[in-house]
Amino acid sequence: MPDADVGLDLTPVAAPPSKRRGRRRSIGVVALLAVAVLALLSQGLLHSLNYFETVDQAMHSRGSLGTKTIRLEGIVKPNTINRTATGASFWIKGGGKEVFVSAHGSPPQLFQANIPVVVVGHFTSRTSDTFYGTQIMVKHTASYIAQHPKRVKAPNGSTR
Amino acid sequence: MIKQLSQRLLGPVTFVLLALTLWLGLWVTPSFEIQGDLARLVYVHPAVAWVAIYVSFGTATIASALYLWRRTRSMLVDRIAHCAMEVSVVFILLTLITGSIWGRPAWGVWWAWDARLTSTAVLGVFALAYLALRRANDDPELRARRSAVLALLAAINVPIIQFSVQWWKTLHQGATVFTTDHGLKIHGIQAWTLLISFLGFTMLFFWLLRARYRLEVLRDERYNASLEEALVQRRREGVR
Repeated sequence: MPDADVGLDLTPVAAPPSKRRGRRRSIGVVALLAVAVLALLSQGLLHSLNYFETVDQAMHSRGSLGTKTIRLEGIVKPNTINRTATGASFWIKGGGKEVFVSAHGSPPQLFQANIPVVVVGHFTSRTSDTFYGTQIMVKHTASYIAQHPKRVKAPNGSTR
Repeated sequence: MIKQLSQRLLGPVTFVLLALTLWLGLWVTPSFEIQGDLARLVYVHPAVAWVAIYVSFGTATIASALYLWRRTRSMLVDRIAHCAMEVSVVFILLTLITGSIWGRPAWGVWWAWDARLTSTAVLGVFALAYLALRRANDDPELRARRSAVLALLAAINVPIIQFSVQWWKTLHQGATVFTTDHGLKIHGIQAWTLLISFLGFTMLFFWLLRARYRLEVLRDERYNASLEEALVQRRREGVR
């Protein structure tokens, strides 16, 4: 009869992973997820779900906004753009209202007349129509029309 | 026979469709009004986002739901969910990168904390958490169940991403291809190129999913074989 103890490796082996350890790790992952999601939402959506105020909305609540920094959206009025060494000044319109924007910093590549823009900045006073901008962003539309209209046909055969 | 043929053709067809997208998108299609050549990213970014949010995340969600339903519960659907989620992470990252590349010259910023971009980033965090959760659990059944629940929870975010541009005011544009009244906004060769890009990237997803799935099967087989080998060795040691 062979001696069971002779040549037998009796060094302790690691215990199989317990469910408790898995649960602890899972709770850790979920906690990290919650922190990450809250951090993202606090940056993006918890202040305001809407990214900007339109010109008419901003004009309507100008008294309460004061000189608070906001993002203002409107369409650049044609023939009002004046590019300066430090930025640009122009009028934007929306909902029948107009605001004069004096912005610092170089405007984006697509900045032009009749394009919607979002300007980060503030009104110069509670009653002023002048908005001092620190950043201009272009809110381009989802219009994908070819630059050479005759080369593109609509489904009904008409050229656009 | 058909299965074998489709498996063999998946790679080459994907390659042809993506090469066609590249050729049409860069050389054949005209540039766009207002955005000029910048808008050629329309042949990449929306298709990548489609695969990230709907195709791959959708596959992971459906497979997770199938795992949680007792009748269809199997390690096969759990494996599909895991592999699809891994591919989804890659495509979500690509969506954010291509969007950022487009955003810098068009909007003037690399990133904006608007509802569309933030909710997409949140989906990315959920997808990463899904993969972390899988690594946190050693018990296969527990791992499958917990990650499936997380995938279903994360899927709530998908309609939020889709409708964010309608529900709230965002810097991100509205619907790219169709208007809310289902009118087409892009025509001719541009529309065809867009369609081919969607097909190409969708096929790429299935090609990647298949490759990842095969790798997972091989990994499981190797694990089982090494476990079996270790058990045999242990028995031998006990007999000596």
